[in-house]
Amino acid sequence: MQKQDSPPLSYLVATDVGGTCTDTIVFGSDGGIHIGKALSTPPDFAHGVLASIQSAATPMGLTLDDLLARTHLFVHGSTVVDNAVLTRDGARTGLITTLGFEDTLHVTRGAYGRWAGLTEGQMKHPVKTDRAAPLVAREAVVGVAERVDCFGDVVTPLDEAAVTAAVRHLVQDKGVEAIAVSFLWSFLNPAHEARVREIIEQVAPGTYVTLSSDIAPVPGEYERGSTAVINAYAGRITRDYLTDLASQLSARGYAGATMVMQGYGGLLPAAEAADRAVGMIECGPAAGVIGAKFLGDLMGDADVIAADMGGTTFKVGVIQGGQLEYAREPMVDRFHYIAPKIEVVSIGAGGGSIVAVDPVTRLPSVGPRSAGARPGPVCYGQGGHEATLTDVMLLIGYMDPDQFLGGAITLDRAGAAAAVASQVAEPLGLDPTAAAIGIYRIACAQITDLIREITVERGLDPRDFVLHAFGGTCGMLAAAFGEELSVRRVIIPYTASVNCAFGLISADVAHEYTTTRTLGTATPAAEVNAIFAGMEARARAQLLAEGIEPHRQRMEWSVDLRYCRQVHEVTTQVHAAAPLDTAGLARLVDDFEALYERKFGKGSAYREAGIEMTAFRLTARGLMPRPKLPVEEEGPADPSAALMGRRPILDLTSGGMAVGQIYNFTLLRPGNEVPGPAVIHTPITTIALHTGHRARMDRWRNIVVTTDAPHIDA
Amino acid sequence: MDPMTFSIIRHRLFRIVDEAVITLKHVSGSAITNEGHDLMVSLYRADGTLLMGGVGFLHHLTSAAEACKAIIRRFQGQIGEADVYLLNDPYTAALHTSDIYLVAPIHHEGRLVAWSACFVHVTDIGAMNPGGFAPQAVDIYSEGFSSPGLKLLDRGEMRQDVLDTILNMVRSPEMVSLDLRSMIACCNVARDRMSALLTKYTAPVVDEACAALVEQSETLFRARLRALPDGQWQSRQYLDVQGETARVVLTMTKTDDRLVFDFTGSDPQSRHSINCTKWAALGGLFAPLFPLLCYDITWNEGVIRPVTMIAPEGSIVNCTRPAPVSVATVGAIQSVNNAACTTIGKMLAASPEYRDQATAVWHANHFAIFKFGANQRGGYSIGILTETFAGAGGARSFADGVDIGGEIPNPISRMANVETVEGAFPIRYLFRRRAPDSGGPGRYRGGTGGEMAIVQHRAPAGGIDYVISGKGARHPMSEGLAGGYPGAPNSYVWVHADAEAAPGSADRLETIPGTPEPVSWGVYPLRGQDALYVRWNGGGGYGDPIARDPAAVAADVTSGVVSARAAAEIYGVALAPDGGADSAATVALRGAIRTARLAVPEAAE
Repeated sequence: MQKQDSPPLSYLVATDVGGTCTDTIVFGSDGGIHIGKALSTPPDFAHGVLASIQSAATPMGLTLDDLLARTHLFVHGSTVVDNAVLTRDGARTGLITTLGFEDTLHVTRGAYGRWAGLTEGQMKHPVKTDRAAPLVAREAVVGVAERVDCFGDVVTPLDEAAVTAAVRHLVQDKGVEAIAVSFLWSFLNPAHEARVREIIEQVAPGTYVTLSSDIAPVPGEYERGSTAVINAYAGRITRDYLTDLASQLSARGYAGATMVMQGYGGLLPAAEAADRAVGMIECGPAAGVIGAKFLGDLMGDADVIAADMGGTTFKVGVIQGGQLEYAREPMVDRFHYIAPKIEVVSIGAGGGSIVAVDPVTRLPSVGPRSAGARPGPVCYGQGGHEATLTDVMLLIGYMDPDQFLGGAITLDRAGAAAAVASQVAEPLGLDPTAAAIGIYRIACAQITDLIREITVERGLDPRDFVLHAFGGTCGMLAAAFGEELSVRRVIIPYTASVNCAFGLISADVAHEYTTTRTLGTATPAAEVNAIFAGMEARARAQLLAEGIEPHRQRMEWSVDLRYCRQVHEVTTQVHAAAPLDTAGLARLVDDFEALYERKFGKGSAYREAGIEMTAFRLTARGLMPRPKLPVEEEGPADPSAALMGRRPILDLTSGGMAVGQIYNFTLLRPGNEVPGPAVIHTPITTIALHTGHRARMDRWRNIVVTTDAPHIDA
Repeated sequence: MDPMTFSIIRHRLFRIVDEAVITLKHVSGSAITNEGHDLMVSLYRADGTLLMGGVGFLHHLTSAAEACKAIIRRFQGQIGEADVYLLNDPYTAALHTSDIYLVAPIHHEGRLVAWSACFVHVTDIGAMNPGGFAPQAVDIYSEGFSSPGLKLLDRGEMRQDVLDTILNMVRSPEMVSLDLRSMIACCNVARDRMSALLTKYTAPVVDEACAALVEQSETLFRARLRALPDGQWQSRQYLDVQGETARVVLTMTKTDDRLVFDFTGSDPQSRHSINCTKWAALGGLFAPLFPLLCYDITWNEGVIRPVTMIAPEGSIVNCTRPAPVSVATVGAIQSVNNAACTTIGKMLAASPEYRDQATAVWHANHFAIFKFGANQRGGYSIGILTETFAGAGGARSFADGVDIGGEIPNPISRMANVETVEGAFPIRYLFRRRAPDSGGPGRYRGGTGGEMAIVQHRAPAGGIDYVISGKGARHPMSEGLAGGYPGAPNSYVWVHADAEAAPGSADRLETIPGTPEPVSWGVYPLRGQDALYVRWNGGGGYGDPIARDPAAVAADVTSGVVSARAAAEIYGVALAPDGGADSAATVALRGAIRTARLAVPEAAE
């Protein structure tokens, strides 16, 4: 795909900083795709970003400076905020809140913060549970007299002298560098919080400030305050990071704009992203879902399960009817926050997951403990001595000991076999091969249960979905668990190894606006239109300022509705043409009712109590040009040119080891079809096929697995 | 059996319960179910014995087993596929009338192979006071609708006459209807998923796995018991209501691989509705037993087999009809929870191997307050103050209890945001925070409880009313362990406003203007400028308070959860002007406390 560069050629560069790797994908205006990879370099992530871009540039025959000079847009996602929170590396932060409610953040709505984010096994063992160490010391929380009520009316005016004293105390005595401000009902009436910002700017200029009414203008003081705290805590690091990255890129000759991925799957200009640290949380996995959606749209699949399995975790997101699912109660580390975020659920299951037999229950298990990259699986020969899923994959023939990472290391099969034998097979009284097969079945079952949970929980049927498998480990399991779930097809995309970076270049600019107000459904449409009109005016001005002309602007309305006296709110898209008329509003209510029953089950609707609208949401999009993926003509089905040999591999259909054919992905051509039992080795993963599976390379070089067997026993 | 298949079936049973819980919470949109997690879903074998208990209110796991058995006895020979049965009679199996059990058979190829059971605390059950807890009830007949077993769905079809009869007897029929629908949806999911499992693995294989799972739990639990020291441990709980104190006395005897819980010596049943029936007492002792002794063992019949309960008939823990029991779940059952937590904690603390599993009593005393009245949006609101679920963690042998950290019998509760409550009810909070000096002192401090005050706010009817089943304001109930002190008791205060005095931004009980009057039991108004103040108990402490790290005491004083007076008098810690501990003065104070203790003659008990 390399081409002779000519001067007018320009590039779109996207780099995603993940926990382990920093991935880059470069799209040329000629349609060429180039991939780069480097290790992530926390806490100085910019270093890894440049190294990753460099690694894409080199095979293109370009220097980093050459590539950047010809780059017209840089799109970026980074784990910088997650990292700052997880490593407790943020600013010393204080909190100013309503007098009498100083404990709200630390008390976490009672036990909620003690158990949220734990596994069910941990929840069943309360004696060994505690809250996470807080981001704000309790001594750095100050209450000041002020009060707004549930109508947004001031009950007690703000005690400005107390605010001044609080700021002095926090900055001078407690040494805080950032202050979060969160008052009761501030999302309805932000005046008191705004006034506190002014006072901070006078008393302690240079202090980083986050107001809860700015960052999360929605009800729920615990979650809103927690959001403000996280944002203040990670705010300066985020701003410094993005500023530093911009200056390093510009020093290398980059003159274009930088867009930053948000957890809701949209892009923001770097300058805006810098002040919304919480927006960047988990933006990498969100980009992965966006990438899956782009491929789904391209291939005509509106319903996609996007599964990513690497070394430590299995992550999964769902796209239904072309729509993304948003998290209801997002968390970073074990802290709650409120920001629109694409739902991505994960479990501790990856190639490095340790397989073991519980000494008490004698039950075999996979993960959640992981051997990580170091010492890694036993077969890597880097000192790991606990058996991992990767060791199991080697024993069941899915990895070639001599071809790992292009033959860079020879895998230690004997070591893996010994570890699985002593740690799994012997405690269970099985032979090592039977134990390895059993572990593979358990890994499949755990993933199947997780995917079933997150789909069925939302009223979705996995049988309607196509499964996209990303990451280094997913391909070895996807055909098996995809069949157990009875998904329509399993697709291992050509860009599977850099899917998150790929997602970056398929996203739009997007701003999210929310107005919280409780209105009955009999409210005149004009009142609803007025709420949206106010938000739209701000949004259009914002997009225009970012250089997005009106013809690239798209306004999407949605409304949160609920049955009165119920706790579940459902965000419902407005499908009728804006501005709404009475019929349009009626349709919104109908759509809500249908959506509610789909999500919460038949008979769950509580119409007797009436319906109310609680929040009005505007998504303002600035459409970005989509890359055109190169398409090749599909040729004959015969894959024999890519056949490398034969060896025993696990074939679940027959229940044991069978001789399978081994293929080299890079030698396959579009149109080639591979029947199971077989494995296809790609540069980053292995695709395992069982009897009854058929893999075909499509015109974009994706591997598409279908099945003709009705059933596989996992 | 093949360990891999066994592992997969076990995991799937676990997931089935989980999915059924999610369904239940989804359909029931109520705060008590969704915030309080006041619910339970479990799977039972064909004979009604517990197969897989879920995380919910754990004192229901065994009672729902008894409910299954009661339904089997009553309907033998008439149990059809997709039937759903209702049972809420406390003298048959339930805890109190408002915790309704729905019990549903699961058939495969025409044969009954398992049961699912679930409960929620329904919005109302037609008792003399709204909301289910009926402090004014004098007998079971004043505690609303109760059934020892009836068929609600016949082969999947709702028996409308039966449903209408129930709904005709409750205050909020639409909400109760939704509560019932949520449980039916839950039963349906459990049945569908179990059917899929049975189809995939066949009934004999699943049955073998279930039998193995029960046997495994029994084997593991007996092995754990054998690893713990033999002995006898006691706990006494004092439960006061309306000036009367009821005692729950528990003696736990561990011999080899068996446990006997003996309530001999407990007081006779009360005329107040704090009593519990024997099935409730059994559930009450298993609620802490599951997470304290079986945290890594599947909760099922295998855990129940090694345990025997002795509960004298006619006592407060095994009352006889028609004694009232509507407050049982936060009355005698909770006392049983606490007593069992203490005796188990003492046994664990006596074992070097298991000492790190020992805990003092968590949240020992729910305050059940249901508020009701016309709301500020032209409607009517009824609901529990969810702070009662917020609780407090007991101290452990290695760490402080978690402040406002919940409770053991219901490990994953939460409380509502102030804004959620103020949006739904015409009330305003003056403050809500950790209550100073509420955590039981100890080498490791019990988690603090909380305190809060509310006033009516722009209520169209001038205010609202509330039902309070508040007990335990006189004696502390969250016992300490290994020399730790108990957590502070609950407190309920009606502050009658003086003429024209406004509560303004009072942020402590002492600064609310007006005349305080303790309240605890009955129905009361919240009107005008009056305030309701509630403080809930902290967790018990662990170990001697004068062995606590002085720096930790000083930090507690700085953050306001321990007073300087308690630091000096109970912890023997003197504070330096900078707020840190004054080590020389602390040594002297602690020496004086030791001397004073030694001067006391041998204690009478």
